[in-house]
Amino acid sequence: MYTYFRNILFVVVALMLTTTSCDEGFGELNTDPNAANEINPNFQFTWIQLRTSGERYENWRASLIYSSMMVQHMSALCGYWAGDKYTYNAGYSSSLFDRQYTQAVVEIQDLINTLESTEDGDQTMLGMARIWRVLIFHRLTDLYGDVPYSQAGKGFIEGVDFPEFDAQEDIYRDMLNELEEAVAQIGDSGGFGSSDLLYGGDQGAWRRFGNSLMLRLGMRLSEVDAATAQEYVNKAIQGGTLQAGENAFIEHTVGPEGINRNGIGEVLDKSQGFGDDCPRLSATLVNWMQSTDDPRLDVIGTLPVNGSEHNGLPNGLDAELINDNPTGTSLDDFSSVNQAIVSVASPMMFMTVAETELLKAEAALRGWGASDAASHYEAGVRAAMNMWADYGQPIASEDIDAYIANNPFDNTMESIGEQYWAATFLNEYEAFANWRRTGYPELTPVNYPGNVTGGTIPVRLALPQGELGTNPNMRAALDRQGLGTDFASHLTVPVWWDVN
Amino acid sequence: MSKNALLTLCLTAFLGLSAWAQQTVSGVVTSSSGEPLIGVNILEKGTTNGVLSDIDGSYTIEVAEGATLTFSYTGYETREMEVGNQATIDITLEEGVALDEVVVTALGIEKSKKALTYSVTELEPEGFSEAREVNVANSLAGKVAGVNVASTATGAGGSSRVIIRGNNSLSGTNQPLYVVDGIPIDNTNLGSAGMWGGSDAGDGISSINPNDIENISVLKGASAAALYGYRSANGVILITTKSGSKSGLNVEFNTQLRAESLNNTYDFQRQYGHGLNGTAPTTVAEALEQQLYAWGEPLNGAGVVQFDGETRPYSDQGDNIDRFYETGLTYINTLTLSGGNERLNFRFSGSNLDNSDIIPNSGLTRRNFTLRTNARISPKFTGTMSAMYVYENANNRPRLSDSPGNANYTAWSLPATVNVEDLRGNSGKLGANEDGTELQFNDNVFVTNPYWAAHQFDNDTNKDRIIGKVQLQYDFLPGLYARTRISLDRFTFRSRNLTPYGTAYSPFGQLSESNREVQELNTELLFGFDRDLTDDINISILAGGNQQRNFSETIGGSGNNFNVPFLHSIGNLANQSVNYGFGEWQVNSLYGSAEIGFMRAIYLSGSYRNDWFSTLTSPDGSGENNQGYYSAGASVVLSELVSLPSAIEFLKLRGSYATGSGPGVAANPYQLNLNYGIFGQGHLGNPLGGIANNSIPNSNLQPLLTKELELGFDVRLLQGRLGLDFTYYDRTTEGDIISAAVSPTSGFGSKIVNLGEMTNKGVELLLTATPIRKQDFSWDVTFNFANNQNEVVSLLTPEADGEALRDGESRTRNAYIEHVEGLPYSQIAGFTYARDANGEIMLDANGLPMQGEYTRFGTGVAPTTMGFGSTFRYKNLSLNFLIDMRMGGVIYSATNAFAYTRGLHQNTLVGRENGIGDVEAGNIEDYYQRIAGNITEEFVYDSDFGKLRQVVLNYTLPNRLMENLPVSGVTVGIAARNLAILWSDVPNIDPESTYNVGNGQGLEMFGVPSTRSIQFNLNVKF
Repeated sequence: MYTYFRNILFVVVALMLTTTSCDEGFGELNTDPNAANEINPNFQFTWIQLRTSGERYENWRASLIYSSMMVQHMSALCGYWAGDKYTYNAGYSSSLFDRQYTQAVVEIQDLINTLESTEDGDQTMLGMARIWRVLIFHRLTDLYGDVPYSQAGKGFIEGVDFPEFDAQEDIYRDMLNELEEAVAQIGDSGGFGSSDLLYGGDQGAWRRFGNSLMLRLGMRLSEVDAATAQEYVNKAIQGGTLQAGENAFIEHTVGPEGINRNGIGEVLDKSQGFGDDCPRLSATLVNWMQSTDDPRLDVIGTLPVNGSEHNGLPNGLDAELINDNPTGTSLDDFSSVNQAIVSVASPMMFMTVAETELLKAEAALRGWGASDAASHYEAGVRAAMNMWADYGQPIASEDIDAYIANNPFDNTMESIGEQYWAATFLNEYEAFANWRRTGYPELTPVNYPGNVTGGTIPVRLALPQGELGTNPNMRAALDRQGLGTDFASHLTVPVWWDVN
Repeated sequence: MSKNALLTLCLTAFLGLSAWAQQTVSGVVTSSSGEPLIGVNILEKGTTNGVLSDIDGSYTIEVAEGATLTFSYTGYETREMEVGNQATIDITLEEGVALDEVVVTALGIEKSKKALTYSVTELEPEGFSEAREVNVANSLAGKVAGVNVASTATGAGGSSRVIIRGNNSLSGTNQPLYVVDGIPIDNTNLGSAGMWGGSDAGDGISSINPNDIENISVLKGASAAALYGYRSANGVILITTKSGSKSGLNVEFNTQLRAESLNNTYDFQRQYGHGLNGTAPTTVAEALEQQLYAWGEPLNGAGVVQFDGETRPYSDQGDNIDRFYETGLTYINTLTLSGGNERLNFRFSGSNLDNSDIIPNSGLTRRNFTLRTNARISPKFTGTMSAMYVYENANNRPRLSDSPGNANYTAWSLPATVNVEDLRGNSGKLGANEDGTELQFNDNVFVTNPYWAAHQFDNDTNKDRIIGKVQLQYDFLPGLYARTRISLDRFTFRSRNLTPYGTAYSPFGQLSESNREVQELNTELLFGFDRDLTDDINISILAGGNQQRNFSETIGGSGNNFNVPFLHSIGNLANQSVNYGFGEWQVNSLYGSAEIGFMRAIYLSGSYRNDWFSTLTSPDGSGENNQGYYSAGASVVLSELVSLPSAIEFLKLRGSYATGSGPGVAANPYQLNLNYGIFGQGHLGNPLGGIANNSIPNSNLQPLLTKELELGFDVRLLQGRLGLDFTYYDRTTEGDIISAAVSPTSGFGSKIVNLGEMTNKGVELLLTATPIRKQDFSWDVTFNFANNQNEVVSLLTPEADGEALRDGESRTRNAYIEHVEGLPYSQIAGFTYARDANGEIMLDANGLPMQGEYTRFGTGVAPTTMGFGSTFRYKNLSLNFLIDMRMGGVIYSATNAFAYTRGLHQNTLVGRENGIGDVEAGNIEDYYQRIAGNITEEFVYDSDFGKLRQVVLNYTLPNRLMENLPVSGVTVGIAARNLAILWSDVPNIDPESTYNVGNGQGLEMFGVPSTRSIQFNLNVKF
């Protein structure tokens, strides 16, 4: 009996003794053979630029369904085009927020972290990356007010799982400072070279892009903090803004995957399968262009199926209300967006010379670091027309000359605002932001049954409701901005810089 | 491997041991029915000298003069015989009384039930093969206390969710380990629907043919499953398949036909027809916009234009559900051959299952071939080889939840004035226009024509699976053996998912083809020692090791836009991408257990296991990559020790404590570091690369640990006619490894973390009674009850209070599943109505209800489950029924929310004529759509239910009828499943509806409707 016990004991002890080798080769086994643990910053920067351009998801919802409708670039009968009717759809409203943090913010923070922690890292790359970061964030805060900023995208690098929401004021001050530093950081060598889809790595163009962004963001504060606005508008203009031919856009391709395609094109391009047929050009935009014989109308619009004249669809109608509409009762009576500018391979425009020139015209009008408002206005209008060449739809220079001759600058903010509005067609986030700041063009709101704004155009989009359940920092951000738990009501509450 | 070499060495050492004696005795051991008993322990009393009986029951042993032989055999009463001068001793062993019944426990070891220090429930085969579900796991519903079964609303080939004693992990799997004849099998859910739709792709347990099952043993707690180490925490379900007969050749044929029909739970309003704003459409454009909405006029029979330009009467068009869905039919034929001779026995079964589902053009084919052989190579050396080949082909798995391609979504939700058959179209191709593209009946391209979805979409999966093992056992001496086993579970999963050319939301179509290989290989070596040291002391010791190696690899192609219309081939896609996935991991384990019994009344047991995980080892070899688990327990059979009142026949008390872990630890390789993926297609010639992790990686991961205390008693009264088995358990999970949802603004959707603490405390009770036991008539009653109280104690940071983790979201985007500190698992969360101080619903300026506070409404996992069953036997006739009940959970019904949006819900009739407050009758949909979109509270219901789960009637033909026939036994039966929902407070849907088997339970939306089935069963033995 003792022998059996001894033998069994021996086996057990022997088994235990072998335990040191029980994880032999495990390290190697747990190394992913199909992934890298370092990335070339060039590869990542291209990736980030494409992801900022975005997917069909948020381009459809936040950009087209909400922004393009609210600023009356476009209009739609379909009920789910909520921005046309000021109804509230939680998922549509929060779509840019829902996607950009995990798509773009996390990657740009990672890239900046890599560049900063690399000894003798490429300062030009870092400057460019910081400018791009500002681009990503200003679109978020403009649309949603207070958002996670200083702690955002740092789940891995700093272990922040639930970032705090920064006040928009703080975000803006930091972004302006970032731009100033970043522009100074860009040297005459280095950068992302041909991996930069914007300028092929051109350092000078990047400095001007940074300054132009500073001009845009500085001017954004014109109503809430004129002193700061003036300070940065001055700096930006002195630093030098975009020159002709330097529109900031990304080229897209037909495929092979979603990331390669233009997200707006993925919504509207009918040649590639799906094409949402709901939107038409808004009557507001078409009428405005027709009143000045604007040559851009034939570029952005396709004539109605029924008719030889452009005809804009009034905002705020549905399939039933259209029956009583005097300008047409069928979708076929209205101009649609020209398929040539909303292809999956169309460029995605982030900022244009037209915008910077118009902002300079405004600065001159305000007496902020620029003079000769009229010439900037004219340059802005000309650039806005020439912009369509980037889409392969050039406008003849004689048509542009004629337009400018027939529509001279009248020294009003209103004209600048209207031209800015026309120049930002398809850059709907910017169109919506500048309209809120300036109040131009003067848009007539609709009052569709069931709207949540009491018949006023929304002045922000609501954050994702679900974040309230998980992120303990959101409640404070809502309280700070006077927002309650009825998210539909948020649409009428202006963001910080949106005063008057 | 050094470990294996060492064990071989040890094995050789044992071979050297042998016994010696002076007198030879031989004989045959048989059962009371005359069958030879194989493997009976024959021991010379007081020595270590012993042999086992062979396949004929015969034995030969050399013993000393004056010896006494002890014959012991599990499940039989032990007998002793004095040898004297006999050279031959033939002996008959009587089957043991029920109290000595034997159950299959961890690692397939059979043990006397009364020796167990923990709770194990065994299930008889009839329950599985006679009232069967296609997925055997679903048959467990209502039968075992503490086992909670949820089947998805996905049709015949769907997955099931089996949870034992509540949920342990917040995001890892909570389903038990399935072990078939000692082979751990993969039960991965291969695809599931979520808030954006999708379909269920089945699970692993669905491969098993219920007819092959001899016995199912449910190891509920950590103590019972302790030897499974990191796989123990969720319990283990051990399935033993039937083995060959001992002599001759037996043929058995079983045929079943099952008819299934839809259980129509819907009760939508049929007073108002399609339209908006209280008016019916007047133009085709309006019809297209309004076809889905029942906000029109009261039905008046007038002609109203519809989507296709046809004018049809504005009247109740009748039952669309009846028109669209079909009667599901399932045929299952199984042929079994079994037999054997002296050295070898075998059982072979071939089974064919053909199912056509209630959803048109959908169904499942499953073919099982199982061969099991046992061989006695020498008196001490036995071998078992088994192989199971399974072919499963699911045709057109239905899409669920969101609308694109989901036939259920539309078929359910048409207004009363729309006849679903008008959506068939006249082109001869179902749901299509003349040009072959989808016949759109509304202006939302994402709401797919149900005929187009059912007949033109393709969502097929094929699984080829081999489950097999080779097992060799060498018995050194009676009670001392070495066993080695190599087992394999490997399958190829082929799937094809087609969105056809011409689909409204994807006019040029999409296709994805994918091939996935999954394999698990286990190599085990085990030493066992089990014998009576004296009359009063029995010991049993096990020691062994296992190496588990898994890999999975997916290769696929996908893309969109077919160049040539309707040529649905991957080569015809304009945009193509390649998908590749790979993962490999390994777990090494060493374990041992010991048990000692005194006077067959007091038992003490203990076990230890250590697991090493490759997935917790950093590429540089560092990391806390191993974990030890132990168990200790005791049981006392009081009725053997002290004299109790005569009514108490048997009374046992038991208690145990064990630590264990969940499988989430092992199966996710490469999550310790930040990785970057390269996207080969690039952009304009530039390579692309970015972060590959969706979750924040964590290099400090450690294995999770569960600690469980289990106490119980088992009492039988009145000659076993009344029995009560009671268990209390208290389990804590610490350091759960989960992919915890973090704020997406962190840059990641989730984070891999060791998370705080969760507790499950509960009771399980099983009551059995036999009120009547007569010669020709008996009546048995069983009642089981379980209540599990779950609490999420702490989450990310121990200091913070009220932390919450998001685990799911409804397509309505205003209901969520969250795990919240201080509350039970899987809370349904969302917004209430805003209410004033008097509790009145507050309205905004337009008179619409306002959204109030963000609130948790309750758990989606019902804490209380009950089953009540009864069996009547009269001569050869038996009748059995089972009622399954659940209590205490809530469900958020997106189906009901959509019924509000669409004006289908009965509640939306209020205000149609006179408005509600400031909302005029013509805009009444704004009122209800506001509720549907913003007020979660309205659609959260108590999910309590009682269901008549099954009724089975069986008749065995008396033997005298078959005297002149070449058959030896005939049984016919009728079984009905899911006959009726006896009570439920959830309107319109089955309270059990769920669209996936993940952890976010409590959400539903437009699943395949639940069904009731009736089946005929014929079993013939030749």
